[in-house]
Amino acid sequence: MLRLFLSLVLAVSFFGSFSAKAETELWGDYSGVTLRVKLIGGGQYEGLYNEVIPWWEENTGGKIEIVTQKNHFELDKEIKKDIASGNLDFCVASNHTSFASQYGNIYTDLNNIMPASVLADYTPLILEHSTVDGRLVQMPRHSDVSNLYYQKSLYEDADNKANFKAKYGYDLTPPETWDQVKDQAIFFSNPPDFYGTQYVGKEEAIAGRFYELIIANGGALFDEDYRPIFNSAAGVEALQWFIDLYNAKAVPDGVLNYLWDDTGLGFASGTIAMNLDWAGWAGFFNDPENSKVAGDIGLVRAPMGSGGLRTGWSGSHSFSMTESCPDKEAAASFLWALTSNKAQMIEARGGLSPTRPAIWDAIIAEKKAEGDEFMLMVFETFKMSLAEDAFTPPLIPEWIEFTNVLYPELQAAILGDKSPEDALATASKKATEIMEDAGYF
Amino acid sequence: MRKFLNGPWVLLMPTLIILTCVVLLPLLLSLWTSFTPFKLTKPDTLYRFVGFRNYERLIGDIDFWIAFGRTVLFLAVALNLELVFGLGIALLINKITYGQRTLRTLMMFPMMFSPILVGFQWKYIFNDNIGLMNNFLREFGVIQPIPWLVDGILANTSIMAAEIWSSTSVFAILLLAGLLGIPKDPIEAAKVDGCNSWQVFKNITLPFLMPFVFIAMTIRSLDVARAYDIVQMMTGGGPAKRTELLWTLISRTGYVDAKMGMANAMSYISIFLSIAFTFFFFYKLVEARQRLSYE
Repeated sequence: MLRLFLSLVLAVSFFGSFSAKAETELWGDYSGVTLRVKLIGGGQYEGLYNEVIPWWEENTGGKIEIVTQKNHFELDKEIKKDIASGNLDFCVASNHTSFASQYGNIYTDLNNIMPASVLADYTPLILEHSTVDGRLVQMPRHSDVSNLYYQKSLYEDADNKANFKAKYGYDLTPPETWDQVKDQAIFFSNPPDFYGTQYVGKEEAIAGRFYELIIANGGALFDEDYRPIFNSAAGVEALQWFIDLYNAKAVPDGVLNYLWDDTGLGFASGTIAMNLDWAGWAGFFNDPENSKVAGDIGLVRAPMGSGGLRTGWSGSHSFSMTESCPDKEAAASFLWALTSNKAQMIEARGGLSPTRPAIWDAIIAEKKAEGDEFMLMVFETFKMSLAEDAFTPPLIPEWIEFTNVLYPELQAAILGDKSPEDALATASKKATEIMEDAGYF
Repeated sequence: MRKFLNGPWVLLMPTLIILTCVVLLPLLLSLWTSFTPFKLTKPDTLYRFVGFRNYERLIGDIDFWIAFGRTVLFLAVALNLELVFGLGIALLINKITYGQRTLRTLMMFPMMFSPILVGFQWKYIFNDNIGLMNNFLREFGVIQPIPWLVDGILANTSIMAAEIWSSTSVFAILLLAGLLGIPKDPIEAAKVDGCNSWQVFKNITLPFLMPFVFIAMTIRSLDVARAYDIVQMMTGGGPAKRTELLWTLISRTGYVDAKMGMANAMSYISIFLSIAFTFFFFYKLVEARQRLSYE
């Protein structure tokens, strides 16, 4: 511990073409130390490791051994197996605010490890979301919230404007409410060549989308005792939105098998008018090599539900340190490096939303200087959205298990196998069993 | 003691020890967990005995029994279709006099793909928007895309097509081995006596092949009853549980929900399905052999 604090230095970091505010750095001499780490893999995530790991090894003399690098759902399964077998022989692992509460106390409380001056560099609300039962179990890497991308030219077309006004009685402008999204999606659709919108249709993904819509409609999933209350007027209204779009063929027929890659690639293919998606896709969408809509993309904050609130299902990717880690000082230094100004700037340049306020300022300044109007719009929109609209799912260990009983019922209602009321009643009954078993009531 | 050390038990000991460690102990442990509320994320729950609670819940769980019934149906249809296609391929290849080895090798290609890759390939083929099947049909005037992986019957048929494509060659290889082992004399004698091709096949070839058919059925029934990878890749058991088979349900319960005690209880009930099919096919195998020896 002493070695760590002795190595603390307050420095001003200069990197790239900008200067960020003073950052507390956490270097030390860790020659001879090898940290075993389990990381989330995939093209979007691995660029960070390629730059930060050599940087950390060079500055500390330590070594990083990547034990596992796989997608988050596979990593989640592996860590659950590790917990069951008691085989926690790694120091650092990727984590997520929606997953963290499942893992009990295998991860160290970083409040006792990270100096307050280091924690002060992160957005306080995100640190709060990274806390489970009063223990800070993860250092936030980047945050996610979704906003609405759309094809600008559709809204500039004079025929579209006139026809839409004649049919719906109001001007065709980027939607402010989810009811307007529905109208416009149906208006733009010309299946099977073109669809108004799309949604992720299975697993936690659709459960999360339903969750944010029920909140925006003024409802909730659970009451204060975690009794399910989503079988309500707000819940039926939220589910009906998905059903109406499906029945109107305003979304592709296969949408219930879609996950994030399917919706992202679908919008990039130019066959979708509007797409609610994460910040990380922005660069891809506007890259002519990957996307047919490059140069024709607008972005607005996620629309509002009938309760006057905007949807804002949010979470943060993060890194945690195991309680069993034999060299916590070195691991703390590595956690800091992975989420440092330098690391976050690397990811922000790819379009991801930073968890340090200084990096928001820096990336916006950089994009202004470059004259990159599109990415400037992306960062300004997501900054506002994270500040004003974002909310996490219930940070409880039962979240994933709950979504696994909810999503098949949502699908059944969308496909017409059940009425929305029946589907939500069944999901509510199963959710009640989960919460009872977990001892909430 | 001396007698024991010189007896056959000593020679059997290494096998018994290995079998106990790699088969018996894991089986007993998983059986024990099925009587506990064991959660992967709460290792302490491994020691909480709850009796038959998991099994009692499963008896009243309609979703489990629907998945169970769908697995039986899937098994029955897939096995029979694989048999028909495998037998046809084996008979055709058996007729070939030139290039038979090359064709036998080509026929085994689908078996060489990992089931996960097969799942990805067929998911792409049946994708409603960019899939090969719908684009192919569009050339013939079918403009409206067919939701192959959404409609209940179509989705199960699509998965079955992938499973059959991947594994029919198992049947073909085993039946071809059977065909190559059939003595030529009875067939030639039947032809001399005026039997047509169908009569030769029905009364001579098929009875000789039946033991091989039941061996292939037994092997494949165990495989199909554990079908997971292809289904998981193509539909994940959905949408709305329309393609849920036992092992997609068990896997989600055990590894995603982390409820390993409940998942093991499901597994033990599903094992009865495999035992029933294995017992049935072995019974038919013995019967076919006896019939062959009488004739």
